[in-house]
Amino acid sequence: MSGKVKITIIEPSEIVVTGLKRLIEQNVSFHVVKTFCSVHEYNTMPNGNPDIIIVNPLTTADDSSDLRSLLQASSNTAILAINYGPYDEEALRDYDGIIGIFNTHEQIEKKLSAAIKNTSDKETYDNSNELSTRECEILTAVAKGKTNKEIADEFNLSIHTVISHRKNISHKLGINSIAGLTIYAVMNKLLDVEDF
Amino acid sequence: MNRIHTFTAKTKMAEIITDYSLLTIIDRLNIKLGFGEASIDEICRRHNLSTDLFLMICRVYAIDGFSPEIGNLTNSDIPKLIGYLQRTHKYWIESFFPNLHTNIHTMLESCDERSAKILNKFYDDYDDEVQKHLDYEENTVFPYINSLVSGNKGNKFRIKDFEENHSNIEEKLHDLKNIVIKYLPENASQQSRINVLNEIFKIENDLNKHSIIENKILIPLVSKYE
Repeated sequence: MSGKVKITIIEPSEIVVTGLKRLIEQNVSFHVVKTFCSVHEYNTMPNGNPDIIIVNPLTTADDSSDLRSLLQASSNTAILAINYGPYDEEALRDYDGIIGIFNTHEQIEKKLSAAIKNTSDKETYDNSNELSTRECEILTAVAKGKTNKEIADEFNLSIHTVISHRKNISHKLGINSIAGLTIYAVMNKLLDVEDF
Repeated sequence: MNRIHTFTAKTKMAEIITDYSLLTIIDRLNIKLGFGEASIDEICRRHNLSTDLFLMICRVYAIDGFSPEIGNLTNSDIPKLIGYLQRTHKYWIESFFPNLHTNIHTMLESCDERSAKILNKFYDDYDDEVQKHLDYEENTVFPYINSLVSGNKGNKFRIKDFEENHSNIEEKLHDLKNIVIKYLPENASQQSRINVLNEIFKIENDLNKHSIIENKILIPLVSKYE
Protein backbone atom coordinates (compact mmCIF):
# COMPACT_ATOMS: atom_id res chain seq x y z
CA MET A 1 0.00 0.00 0.00
CA SER A 2 1.62 3.27 -1.06
CA GLY A 3 0.97 6.81 0.13
CA LYS A 4 -1.63 7.64 2.70
CA VAL A 5 -4.27 5.21 3.89
CA LYS A 6 -7.61 6.46 2.58
CA ILE A 7 -10.49 6.36 5.03
CA THR A 8 -14.20 6.97 4.53
CA ILE A 9 -16.54 7.56 7.47
CA ILE A 10 -20.28 6.83 7.48
CA GLU A 11 -21.71 8.36 10.61
CA PRO A 12 -24.86 10.44 11.19
CA SER A 13 -23.51 12.57 14.04
CA GLU A 14 -21.48 15.58 12.93
CA ILE A 15 -19.87 15.79 16.37
CA VAL A 16 -18.64 12.22 16.12
CA VAL A 17 -17.46 12.60 12.52
CA THR A 18 -15.49 15.74 13.32
CA GLY A 19 -13.95 14.23 16.45
CA LEU A 20 -13.09 10.94 14.79
CA LYS A 21 -11.54 12.62 11.76
CA ARG A 22 -9.41 14.80 14.00
CA LEU A 23 -8.18 11.89 16.12
CA ILE A 24 -7.43 9.73 13.09
CA GLU A 25 -5.52 12.45 11.27
CA GLN A 26 -3.20 13.01 14.22
CA ASN A 27 -1.33 10.23 12.49
CA VAL A 28 -0.18 11.72 9.18
CA SER A 29 -0.31 8.42 7.31
CA PHE A 30 -4.12 8.37 7.63
CA HIS A 31 -6.32 10.57 5.52
CA VAL A 32 -10.10 10.83 5.82
CA VAL A 33 -11.11 11.31 2.17
CA LYS A 34 -14.90 11.38 2.47
CA THR A 35 -17.57 11.45 5.12
CA PHE A 36 -21.22 10.47 4.71
CA CYS A 37 -24.16 10.64 7.06
CA SER A 38 -25.89 7.49 5.77
CA VAL A 39 -25.25 4.32 3.81
CA HIS A 40 -27.70 5.57 1.20
CA GLU A 41 -25.65 8.72 0.68
CA TYR A 42 -22.47 6.64 0.56
CA ASN A 43 -23.93 4.40 -2.12
CA THR A 44 -25.22 7.21 -4.32
CA MET A 45 -22.08 9.37 -4.35
CA PRO A 46 -18.47 8.71 -5.33
CA ASN A 47 -16.96 7.07 -2.28
CA GLY A 48 -13.29 7.97 -2.75
CA ASN A 49 -12.19 4.34 -3.13
CA PRO A 50 -11.20 3.94 0.50
CA ASP A 51 -8.80 1.42 2.07
CA ILE A 52 -10.87 1.57 5.24
CA ILE A 53 -14.55 2.28 5.81
CA ILE A 54 -15.58 3.28 9.31
CA VAL A 55 -19.31 2.91 9.68
CA ASN A 56 -21.78 3.35 12.50
CA PRO A 57 -23.64 0.00 12.69
CA LEU A 58 -26.87 1.89 13.40
CA THR A 59 -26.80 3.07 9.79
CA THR A 60 -26.64 -0.49 8.45
CA ALA A 61 -29.23 -1.95 10.79
CA ASP A 62 -32.28 -1.77 8.49
CA ASP A 63 -30.60 -3.72 5.78
CA SER A 64 -30.43 -7.46 5.98
CA SER A 65 -27.87 -7.91 3.22
CA ASP A 66 -24.30 -8.82 3.98
CA LEU A 67 -22.17 -5.93 5.22
CA ARG A 68 -19.57 -6.15 2.47
CA SER A 69 -22.08 -6.18 -0.37
CA LEU A 70 -24.14 -3.44 1.29
CA LEU A 71 -21.09 -1.17 1.24
CA GLN A 72 -19.96 -2.47 -2.17
CA ALA A 73 -16.59 -3.15 -0.60
CA SER A 74 -14.02 -5.52 -2.04
CA SER A 75 -12.27 -7.94 0.26
CA ASN A 76 -9.23 -5.60 0.36
CA THR A 77 -11.25 -2.89 2.06
CA ALA A 78 -11.31 -3.07 5.85
CA ILE A 79 -14.65 -2.27 7.47
CA LEU A 80 -14.62 -1.02 11.05
CA ALA A 81 -17.54 -0.13 13.27
CA ILE A 82 -17.71 3.08 15.26
CA ASN A 83 -19.86 1.84 18.07
CA TYR A 84 -21.68 3.83 20.70
CA GLY A 85 -25.01 2.14 20.11
CA PRO A 86 -26.63 -0.89 21.71
CA TYR A 87 -24.29 -3.44 20.12
CA ASP A 88 -21.93 -5.83 21.86
CA GLU A 89 -18.85 -7.30 20.20
CA GLU A 90 -20.68 -10.45 19.24
CA ALA A 91 -23.20 -8.48 17.19
CA LEU A 92 -20.35 -6.73 15.38
CA ARG A 93 -18.27 -9.76 14.53
CA ASP A 94 -18.62 -9.23 10.79
CA TYR A 95 -16.59 -6.04 11.14
CA ASP A 96 -12.81 -6.05 10.86
CA GLY A 97 -12.56 -4.00 14.05
CA ILE A 98 -14.56 -1.95 16.49
CA ILE A 99 -13.77 1.61 17.51
CA GLY A 100 -15.37 2.51 20.83
CA ILE A 101 -16.45 5.97 21.85
CA PHE A 102 -13.93 5.99 24.73
CA ASN A 103 -10.95 4.94 22.64
CA THR A 104 -7.88 7.16 22.69
CA HIS A 105 -6.22 8.18 19.45
CA GLU A 106 -3.46 5.62 20.10
CA GLN A 107 -6.06 2.84 20.42
CA ILE A 108 -7.81 3.97 17.24
CA GLU A 109 -4.51 4.08 15.39
CA LYS A 110 -3.69 0.55 16.52
CA LYS A 111 -7.10 -0.77 15.42
CA LEU A 112 -6.84 0.90 12.01
CA SER A 113 -3.35 -0.50 11.44
CA ALA A 114 -4.40 -3.98 12.55
CA ALA A 115 -7.43 -3.91 10.24
CA ILE A 116 -5.33 -2.99 7.21
CA LYS A 117 -2.83 -5.69 8.02
CA ASN A 118 -5.54 -8.30 8.43
CA THR A 119 -7.34 -7.51 5.21
CA SER A 120 -4.15 -7.55 3.19
CA ASP A 121 -3.25 -11.08 4.30
CA LYS A 122 -6.65 -12.35 5.24
CA GLU A 123 -7.88 -15.89 5.02
CA THR A 124 -11.36 -15.17 3.84
CA TYR A 125 -14.11 -16.69 5.92
CA ASP A 126 -16.29 -19.16 4.17
CA ASN A 127 -19.71 -17.72 4.85
CA SER A 128 -21.88 -20.67 3.94
CA ASN A 129 -23.69 -21.97 6.97
CA GLU A 130 -23.33 -25.71 6.94
CA LEU A 131 -20.07 -27.46 7.72
CA SER A 132 -18.39 -29.01 4.69
CA THR A 133 -17.48 -32.70 4.69
CA ARG A 134 -13.83 -31.83 5.35
CA GLU A 135 -14.83 -29.56 8.23
CA CYS A 136 -16.94 -32.35 9.75
CA GLU A 137 -13.95 -34.71 9.54
CA ILE A 138 -11.67 -32.19 11.21
CA LEU A 139 -14.25 -31.35 13.86
CA THR A 140 -14.56 -35.05 14.70
CA ALA A 141 -10.79 -35.33 15.03
CA VAL A 142 -10.65 -32.23 17.27
CA ALA A 143 -13.42 -33.64 19.45
CA LYS A 144 -11.48 -36.89 19.79
CA GLY A 145 -8.68 -34.83 21.30
CA LYS A 146 -6.26 -34.88 18.38
CA THR A 147 -3.71 -32.08 18.05
CA ASN A 148 -3.39 -29.86 14.99
CA LYS A 149 -0.20 -31.69 14.05
CA GLU A 150 -1.90 -35.12 14.25
CA ILE A 151 -4.84 -33.86 12.19
CA ALA A 152 -2.50 -32.37 9.58
CA ASP A 153 -0.70 -35.72 9.25
CA GLU A 154 -3.91 -37.74 9.12
CA PHE A 155 -5.49 -35.69 6.32
CA ASN A 156 -2.30 -34.74 4.55
CA LEU A 157 -2.77 -31.02 5.14
CA SER A 158 -0.47 -28.26 6.35
CA ILE A 159 -0.92 -27.16 9.98
CA HIS A 160 -1.84 -23.73 8.64
CA THR A 161 -4.75 -25.24 6.68
CA VAL A 162 -5.93 -27.18 9.74
CA ILE A 163 -5.92 -23.99 11.82
CA SER A 164 -7.82 -22.17 9.10
CA HIS A 165 -10.44 -24.97 9.00
CA ARG A 166 -10.76 -24.80 12.78
CA LYS A 167 -11.32 -21.05 12.64
CA ASN A 168 -14.04 -21.52 10.03
CA ILE A 169 -15.70 -24.24 12.10
CA SER A 170 -15.76 -22.08 15.25
CA HIS A 171 -16.98 -19.09 13.27
CA LYS A 172 -19.88 -21.04 11.75
CA LEU A 173 -20.95 -22.81 14.95
CA GLY A 174 -20.24 -20.03 17.45
CA ILE A 175 -18.38 -22.58 19.58
CA ASN A 176 -14.71 -22.17 20.47
CA SER A 177 -13.77 -24.60 23.23
CA ILE A 178 -12.86 -28.20 22.46
CA ALA A 179 -15.42 -29.33 25.05
CA GLY A 180 -18.12 -27.32 23.27
CA LEU A 181 -17.13 -28.68 19.85
CA THR A 182 -17.31 -32.20 21.28
CA ILE A 183 -20.90 -31.60 22.35
CA TYR A 184 -21.79 -30.44 18.87
CA ALA A 185 -20.13 -33.52 17.40
CA VAL A 186 -22.01 -35.91 19.69
CA MET A 187 -25.37 -34.17 19.26
CA ASN A 188 -24.98 -34.33 15.51
CA LYS A 189 -23.91 -37.94 15.66
CA LEU A 190 -20.46 -37.27 14.23
CA LEU A 191 -19.15 -38.97 17.33
CA ASP A 192 -20.46 -41.59 19.71
CA VAL A 193 -20.98 -40.76 23.38
CA GLU A 194 -18.75 -43.72 24.20
CA ASP A 195 -15.91 -42.20 22.18
CA PHE A 196 -15.01 -39.69 24.83
CA MET B 1 -26.36 6.88 26.86
CA ASN B 2 -26.51 6.22 30.58
CA ARG B 3 -26.84 9.17 32.92
CA ILE B 4 -23.96 7.89 34.98
CA HIS B 5 -21.53 9.92 32.81
CA THR B 6 -22.69 13.05 34.56
CA PHE B 7 -22.74 11.71 38.11
CA THR B 8 -20.38 13.27 40.63
CA ALA B 9 -19.68 12.91 44.33
CA LYS B 10 -22.48 15.41 45.00
CA THR B 11 -25.19 13.43 43.17
CA LYS B 12 -27.77 11.80 45.44
CA MET B 13 -26.94 8.15 46.05
CA ALA B 14 -30.56 7.17 45.38
CA GLU B 15 -30.27 8.49 41.82
CA ILE B 16 -27.48 6.12 40.91
CA ILE B 17 -29.59 3.00 41.40
CA THR B 18 -30.89 2.95 37.85
CA ASP B 19 -30.61 -0.71 37.06
CA TYR B 20 -30.12 -4.20 38.34
CA SER B 21 -26.32 -4.26 38.08
CA LEU B 22 -25.83 -1.05 40.06
CA LEU B 23 -28.06 -2.42 42.78
CA THR B 24 -25.83 -5.46 42.90
CA ILE B 25 -22.73 -3.28 43.35
CA ILE B 26 -24.25 -1.46 46.32
CA ASP B 27 -24.94 -4.78 47.95
CA ARG B 28 -21.47 -6.17 47.23
CA LEU B 29 -19.92 -3.07 48.78
CA ASN B 30 -22.02 -3.72 51.86
CA ILE B 31 -23.85 -0.42 51.49
CA LYS B 32 -27.32 -0.61 53.02
CA LEU B 33 -30.35 0.78 51.20
CA GLY B 34 -32.35 3.61 52.78
CA PHE B 35 -30.15 6.48 51.57
CA GLY B 36 -32.71 9.24 52.03
CA GLU B 37 -31.34 12.37 50.36
CA ALA B 38 -27.68 11.65 51.16
CA SER B 39 -25.08 12.27 48.43
CA ILE B 40 -22.74 9.62 47.07
CA ASP B 41 -19.92 11.34 48.92
CA GLU B 42 -21.74 11.22 52.27
CA ILE B 43 -22.70 7.57 51.94
CA CYS B 44 -19.18 6.59 50.88
CA ARG B 45 -17.69 8.45 53.84
CA ARG B 46 -20.10 6.68 56.19
CA HIS B 47 -18.86 3.37 54.83
CA ASN B 48 -15.23 4.41 54.83
CA LEU B 49 -15.10 3.90 51.07
CA SER B 50 -13.43 6.20 48.55
CA THR B 51 -15.88 7.98 46.28
CA ASP B 52 -13.48 7.61 43.36
CA LEU B 53 -13.40 3.84 43.72
CA PHE B 54 -17.17 3.68 44.09
CA LEU B 55 -17.86 5.76 40.99
CA MET B 56 -15.25 3.85 39.01
CA ILE B 57 -16.88 0.48 39.75
CA CYS B 58 -20.32 1.91 38.90
CA ARG B 59 -19.02 3.25 35.59
CA VAL B 60 -17.45 -0.08 34.64
CA TYR B 61 -20.86 -1.70 35.10
CA ALA B 62 -23.00 1.03 33.60
CA ILE B 63 -20.93 2.00 30.55
CA ASP B 64 -20.02 -0.68 28.01
CA GLY B 65 -16.48 -0.34 26.74
CA PHE B 66 -15.45 1.93 29.62
CA SER B 67 -11.82 1.44 30.46
CA PRO B 68 -11.01 2.69 33.97
CA GLU B 69 -7.71 4.32 34.88
CA ILE B 70 -6.55 4.15 38.46
CA GLY B 71 -5.72 7.89 38.58
CA ASN B 72 -6.40 9.09 42.12
CA LEU B 73 -6.85 5.71 43.74
CA THR B 74 -4.33 4.81 46.43
CA ASN B 75 -3.30 1.65 48.24
CA SER B 76 -5.81 2.44 50.97
CA ASP B 77 -8.50 1.51 48.41
CA ILE B 78 -7.11 -2.00 48.00
CA PRO B 79 -8.79 -3.69 51.02
CA LYS B 80 -12.23 -2.35 49.99
CA LEU B 81 -11.67 -3.53 46.46
CA ILE B 82 -10.65 -7.01 47.64
CA GLY B 83 -13.73 -7.11 49.88
CA TYR B 84 -15.88 -6.25 46.88
CA LEU B 85 -14.31 -8.98 44.72
CA GLN B 86 -14.65 -11.56 47.50
CA ARG B 87 -18.32 -10.84 48.04
CA THR B 88 -18.84 -11.21 44.31
CA HIS B 89 -17.11 -14.61 44.35
CA LYS B 90 -19.18 -15.66 47.35
CA TYR B 91 -22.39 -14.77 45.53
CA TRP B 92 -21.35 -16.75 42.46
CA ILE B 93 -20.28 -19.83 44.38
CA GLU B 94 -23.07 -19.94 46.94
CA SER B 95 -25.96 -18.66 44.92
CA PHE B 96 -25.50 -18.07 41.22
CA PHE B 97 -23.78 -21.22 39.97
CA PRO B 98 -25.81 -23.69 42.09
CA ASN B 99 -28.91 -21.98 40.75
CA LEU B 100 -27.70 -22.21 37.16
CA HIS B 101 -26.88 -25.86 37.76
CA THR B 102 -30.44 -26.55 38.94
CA ASN B 103 -31.84 -24.77 35.89
CA ILE B 104 -29.60 -26.73 33.54
CA HIS B 105 -30.61 -29.93 35.25
CA THR B 106 -34.31 -29.11 34.77
CA MET B 107 -33.68 -28.24 31.13
CA LEU B 108 -31.89 -31.53 30.50
CA GLU B 109 -34.72 -33.56 32.02
CA SER B 110 -36.72 -32.75 28.92
CA CYS B 111 -33.88 -33.75 26.56
CA ASP B 112 -32.88 -37.07 25.08
CA GLU B 113 -30.48 -39.13 27.16
CA ARG B 114 -27.57 -38.64 24.79
CA SER B 115 -27.66 -34.83 24.91
CA ALA B 116 -28.35 -34.83 28.64
CA LYS B 117 -25.37 -37.00 29.41
CA ILE B 118 -22.77 -34.96 27.53
CA LEU B 119 -24.15 -31.59 28.58
CA ASN B 120 -24.16 -32.63 32.22
CA LYS B 121 -20.52 -33.59 31.90
CA PHE B 122 -19.72 -30.34 30.08
CA TYR B 123 -21.29 -28.32 32.85
CA ASP B 124 -19.64 -30.32 35.65
CA ASP B 125 -16.24 -29.74 34.03
CA TYR B 126 -17.01 -26.07 33.67
CA ASP B 127 -18.06 -25.90 37.31
CA ASP B 128 -14.66 -27.36 38.32
CA GLU B 129 -12.91 -24.83 36.11
CA VAL B 130 -14.75 -21.92 37.76
CA GLN B 131 -14.03 -23.32 41.21
CA LYS B 132 -10.30 -23.61 40.44
CA HIS B 133 -10.20 -20.12 38.96
CA LEU B 134 -11.82 -18.60 42.04
CA ASP B 135 -9.82 -20.75 44.49
CA TYR B 136 -6.61 -19.47 42.97
CA GLU B 137 -7.69 -15.88 43.52
CA GLU B 138 -9.03 -16.54 47.03
CA ASN B 139 -6.16 -18.72 48.25
CA THR B 140 -3.16 -17.27 46.46
CA VAL B 141 -3.75 -13.83 45.00
CA PHE B 142 -5.85 -12.12 47.68
CA PRO B 143 -3.79 -13.37 50.67
CA TYR B 144 -0.67 -12.10 48.87
CA ILE B 145 -2.23 -8.67 48.34
CA ASN B 146 -3.47 -8.53 51.93
CA SER B 147 -0.02 -9.33 53.29
CA LEU B 148 1.52 -6.74 50.96
CA VAL B 149 -0.92 -4.10 52.22
CA SER B 150 -0.06 -4.94 55.83
CA GLY B 151 3.58 -4.20 55.10
CA ASN B 152 5.06 -7.58 54.23
CA LYS B 153 7.18 -7.14 51.12
CA GLY B 154 9.10 -10.40 51.40
CA ASN B 155 6.79 -12.49 49.26
CA LYS B 156 8.08 -14.10 46.06
CA PHE B 157 4.68 -13.92 44.35
CA ARG B 158 4.12 -10.88 42.17
CA ILE B 159 0.85 -9.51 40.82
CA LYS B 160 2.36 -10.05 37.36
CA ASP B 161 2.08 -13.82 38.02
CA PHE B 162 -1.66 -13.34 38.50
CA GLU B 163 -1.90 -11.33 35.30
CA GLU B 164 -0.22 -14.16 33.40
CA ASN B 165 -2.33 -16.90 35.00
CA HIS B 166 -5.65 -15.12 34.82
CA SER B 167 -7.63 -17.74 32.95
CA ASN B 168 -10.71 -17.13 30.90
CA ILE B 169 -13.90 -18.63 32.34
CA GLU B 170 -16.16 -16.94 29.82
CA GLU B 171 -15.40 -19.05 26.75
CA LYS B 172 -17.30 -22.17 27.74
CA LEU B 173 -20.32 -20.17 28.88
CA HIS B 174 -20.39 -18.54 25.47
CA ASP B 175 -20.28 -22.00 23.88
CA LEU B 176 -23.00 -23.30 26.20
CA LYS B 177 -25.20 -20.35 25.27
CA ASN B 178 -24.89 -21.11 21.57
CA ILE B 179 -25.48 -24.82 22.12
CA VAL B 180 -28.72 -24.08 24.02
CA ILE B 181 -29.85 -21.56 21.41
CA LYS B 182 -28.83 -23.44 18.29
CA TYR B 183 -28.29 -27.11 18.83
CA LEU B 184 -30.39 -28.47 21.67
CA PRO B 185 -33.21 -30.42 19.99
CA GLU B 186 -36.53 -28.62 19.62
CA ASN B 187 -38.31 -30.95 22.03
CA ALA B 188 -36.33 -29.58 25.01
CA SER B 189 -38.64 -27.51 27.18
CA GLN B 190 -38.74 -23.93 25.90
CA GLN B 191 -39.29 -22.32 29.30
CA SER B 192 -36.40 -24.11 30.98
CA ARG B 193 -34.17 -23.19 28.06
CA ILE B 194 -35.10 -19.53 28.40
CA ASN B 195 -34.42 -19.66 32.14
CA VAL B 196 -30.94 -21.02 31.48
CA LEU B 197 -30.23 -18.42 28.79
CA ASN B 198 -31.38 -15.55 31.02
CA GLU B 199 -29.00 -16.73 33.71
CA ILE B 200 -26.13 -17.02 31.23
CA PHE B 201 -26.71 -13.50 29.87
CA LYS B 202 -26.64 -12.15 33.42
CA ILE B 203 -23.45 -13.93 34.45
CA GLU B 204 -21.66 -13.18 31.16
CA ASN B 205 -22.05 -9.49 31.79
CA ASP B 206 -21.05 -9.86 35.42
CA LEU B 207 -17.93 -11.91 34.59
CA ASN B 208 -16.93 -9.47 31.91
CA LYS B 209 -17.20 -6.42 34.20
CA HIS B 210 -15.54 -8.34 37.02
CA SER B 211 -12.49 -9.09 34.91
CA ILE B 212 -12.27 -5.43 33.83
CA ILE B 213 -12.18 -4.50 37.53
CA GLU B 214 -9.47 -7.07 38.24
CA ASN B 215 -7.35 -6.34 35.17
CA LYS B 216 -7.73 -2.58 34.92
CA ILE B 217 -8.07 -1.54 38.58
CA LEU B 218 -6.75 -4.22 40.93
CA ILE B 219 -3.65 -5.31 39.00
CA PRO B 220 -2.37 -1.77 38.16
CA LEU B 221 -3.07 -0.59 41.71
CA VAL B 222 -1.19 -3.47 43.32
CA SER B 223 1.73 -3.35 40.89
CA LYS B 224 2.15 0.36 41.65
CA TYR B 225 2.43 -0.58 45.29
CA GLU B 226 4.84 -3.52 44.90
